[in-house]
Amino acid sequence: MKIIVILKQVPDSETKIKVKGDGSGIETDGIKYVISPYDEYAVEEALKLKEKAGGDSTVTVVSAGPDRTVESIRTALAMGADAAVHVNDPALEGADSLGVARALAKAIQDNGFDIIFAGKQGIDQDNSQVPSAVAELLDIPQVNIIAKFEITEDKSKATVSRRIEGGEETIETSLPALFGCEKGLNEPRYASLPGIMKAKKKPVKTVDLAGLGLDAGEVGAAGSHVKILKWIPLPERQAGKILQGMETAEASKELVRLLREEAKVI
Amino acid sequence: MGEQRESMEVDVLIVGGGPSGLATAYHLKQAAKRHDEAIEKAGVGKKVGELSIAVIEKASEVGAHMMSGAVMDPVGINELMPDWLERGAPIESPVKKEVVYHLTEKGGFKLPLVPPPLQNHGNYVISLSKFIRWLGPIVEGEGVDIFCGFPGTEVLYDGNRVIGVRTGDKGIGPDGSKRSNYEPGIDLMAKVTVFAEGVRGNLAKPMIKKLGLDAGKNIMSYETGVKEVFEVPEGQIEPGFLMHTSGYPSRKDATGGSWLYGMQNNLVSVGWVVYLDYRDPLLEPHTEYQKFKNHPIVKKMLEGGKPVFYGAKALASGGYYAMPRLSFDGGLLVGEDGGFLNNKRLKGIHLAFKSGMMAAETIIEALEKGDVTRETLANYEKRFERSWAGKELYGSRNFTAAMSKGFPFPAAIHLAAQEATGGRGLIDPLPVAHTDAHALASLTEYYNDANAMPERPKYDGKWMLDKVSDVYISGTIHEEQQPPHLKIGNADICQQCWVKFRSPCNRFCPADVYEMALVNEQTKERAMQIRFSNCVHCKTCDIKCPFDNITWTPPEGGGGPNYTVQ
Ligand SMILES: Cc1cc2nc3c(=O)[nH]c(=O)nc-3n(C[C@H](O)[C@H](O)[C@H](O)COP(=O)(O)OP(=O)(O)OC[C@H]3O[C@@H](n4cnc5c(N)ncnc54)[C@H](O)[C@@H]3O)c2cc1C
Ligand code: SF4
Ligand code: SF4
Repeated sequence: MKIIVILKQVPDSETKIKVKGDGSGIETDGIKYVISPYDEYAVEEALKLKEKAGGDSTVTVVSAGPDRTVESIRTALAMGADAAVHVNDPALEGADSLGVARALAKAIQDNGFDIIFAGKQGIDQDNSQVPSAVAELLDIPQVNIIAKFEITEDKSKATVSRRIEGGEETIETSLPALFGCEKGLNEPRYASLPGIMKAKKKPVKTVDLAGLGLDAGEVGAAGSHVKILKWIPLPERQAGKILQGMETAEASKELVRLLREEAKVI
Repeated sequence: MGEQRESMEVDVLIVGGGPSGLATAYHLKQAAKRHDEAIEKAGVGKKVGELSIAVIEKASEVGAHMMSGAVMDPVGINELMPDWLERGAPIESPVKKEVVYHLTEKGGFKLPLVPPPLQNHGNYVISLSKFIRWLGPIVEGEGVDIFCGFPGTEVLYDGNRVIGVRTGDKGIGPDGSKRSNYEPGIDLMAKVTVFAEGVRGNLAKPMIKKLGLDAGKNIMSYETGVKEVFEVPEGQIEPGFLMHTSGYPSRKDATGGSWLYGMQNNLVSVGWVVYLDYRDPLLEPHTEYQKFKNHPIVKKMLEGGKPVFYGAKALASGGYYAMPRLSFDGGLLVGEDGGFLNNKRLKGIHLAFKSGMMAAETIIEALEKGDVTRETLANYEKRFERSWAGKELYGSRNFTAAMSKGFPFPAAIHLAAQEATGGRGLIDPLPVAHTDAHALASLTEYYNDANAMPERPKYDGKWMLDKVSDVYISGTIHEEQQPPHLKIGNADICQQCWVKFRSPCNRFCPADVYEMALVNEQTKERAMQIRFSNCVHCKTCDIKCPFDNITWTPPEGGGGPNYTVQ
């Protein structure tokens, strides 16, 4: 089976993000970049499927991003993926979800695929649009936010579950299809030290938009339908208040008053 | 159950990717090249060839556990990489202006002259985490494998010969069971293993004991530094401005000192170091730092600013006479693992670089000879004695021991004598009576009150951050699903300790990890709670617990602070 994982590199969730003074973006100095956590579930599910499917199954990572993205790609290779395609084109800087999806879809098509895993969303911008758009562009079914994955013996169908309000929804789909992975699907493995050594020798193919036969004016930032106008930092968090030296009844009254009058949340 | 543990062989294994470890790796590559070229030319001798060198680092990224002042004396990096400035090394500024103040509780005065050990003309203000983040990829570019997120947890021996290091397991649950993603650590086997773990290395500590490397040496002394990086209004403190202070909040039995260094982008590094031989069981380095920061002179300098980054770390400050034996069969100690630190100048970076270089040269010699026993590796110690680093450390050999006699007196008398005699002083070597852990007085001895509990300062979440808020701006994070990496030897001892000392770990830990919490209102029973995920890896608890009841072990790889400009 040709198993594909779509992967995005994002700032680590612990990174303190600082918006640039002019609101044109964020300060990239000192940011630590990692694989978007939901994409790690995608990598793990792909590797588990490969182990199960056996034979000459391969896992190929496809990712769009600047040079630094290679580090995250190498991490996925160290976890056990076999090869990668890195779409690297300055024109994609600031492109909208559709543009990125077009580039990824083309790279996936050129590579060939039987099944695609992605994270349910990138934790940086939380758009959650790329996986769906890729599936549409490739004209295959997609199920997002899956928490369980099973495949039939003949690999023609997959049964997946989604957690929904008050229960679970089980969906069966034909393959090829694309799946957006949710926390709880699995526990991503660690990159082992020998795995990291091996990853250094695994092939990473770098392509730009022209190499994919795409028009940078259309797919890149220049042709984007959605543009980010301005970044605004969150207001600073106020120090917390602790109610002290009061009896419980008195303290609860004061708490209600504060929640109503100061915090205005009830 | 027979566990599958892989092993991997390298020529040289380096534990720790700080200045000393990276210098060892980089210089090994350079020296090997030069060595083989020379042999090629001469036509005699043995080449060492392309060396396989691995560095393991417990942090998630190179530089993420780097926490320093820092003013760097460039003498080390100049030798290691003469074109470091041209290659774009990140510096905050050359040192431009320095002042030294003596502080009293409410006031103070500026010294008319900067005392010689504190003179920093020609040095550079740097952020060590930035600097090492820059150096790491250069070292990798030379063909060194750096594995981040892989702590060394055990030294592997063949008898008394070091043959490698085992890395930590990953994917162990809080109850010690294996999770579905369990990944056993591996055995890294090496011809020579270099220990570059920095202060109080978790591998070096038991190894120094086992191999008796501290026999006949002074007891090692330590200090703990607590630091905030402030953001101040534009132009208020210029990059390259330095201030050091003596006096307040030091006490006779709790010596310390401060720094304040101007960095780029209106950032200022502000910190306080406490000598860990203090007696007061309730002393808090974090609170001492707050006192310093709130001194009117300091407060005025930082006016309108706020802390934006935090860090804390211990230093191995014992100096020349406390340095363990640096070589043994199969391995060497470099940087602070080997006690390379000039406490008189509060500087270790240049010595860390130099020690790595001397280690590298010795290793090349050993590999050429095919002898990695102490016989050849001891040349490292000879190189050290002959080098400027040896002379520098010898010159200040009795400094820390003098300071621990009580500042200003009698320390000042010893220091004056040392100044006059090139370091020898009144007694040479000036001994250290006990480990820092055993310097504490009991509550009743110190306070004459078995229930003493000094107030903590008032925190406002802006200028004054409590420990937990400070931990937040240190970027510290650990996998929560793992057993605590701080190992308490005997919980009953903590009960006695509460009565006698009021559990000093609750106070000295700068990250609020330990709490002897009241678990039963009626019986007043207390039990230790360990919030291990706050730990900033400063090592103070491993040093200062009065019953030597805490062992710091590495958490799952990658956990810990995420220092960026500290
Ligand atoms: C508060 C403070 C202020 C200072 N100010 C200055 C100054 O102004 N100027 C100056 O020159 N020096 C200063 N120093 C000293 C200087 O920072 C150190 O001497 C120097 O960093 C030591 O380098 P090192 O390579 O020996 O250790 P470190 O820099 O501590 O590096 C050790 C590395 O090894 C890793 N490690 C540790 N154990 C393991 C393990 N078991 N497995 C894997 N990895 C491990 C650590 O994560 C770390 O990355 C200061 C130190 C402190 C604490
Ligand atoms: S860990 Fe050490 S310092 Fe803390 S209570 Fe126990 S004995 Fe005392
Ligand atoms: S637990 Fe120990 S090593 Fe960790 S921050 Fe506290 S004192 Fe430092």
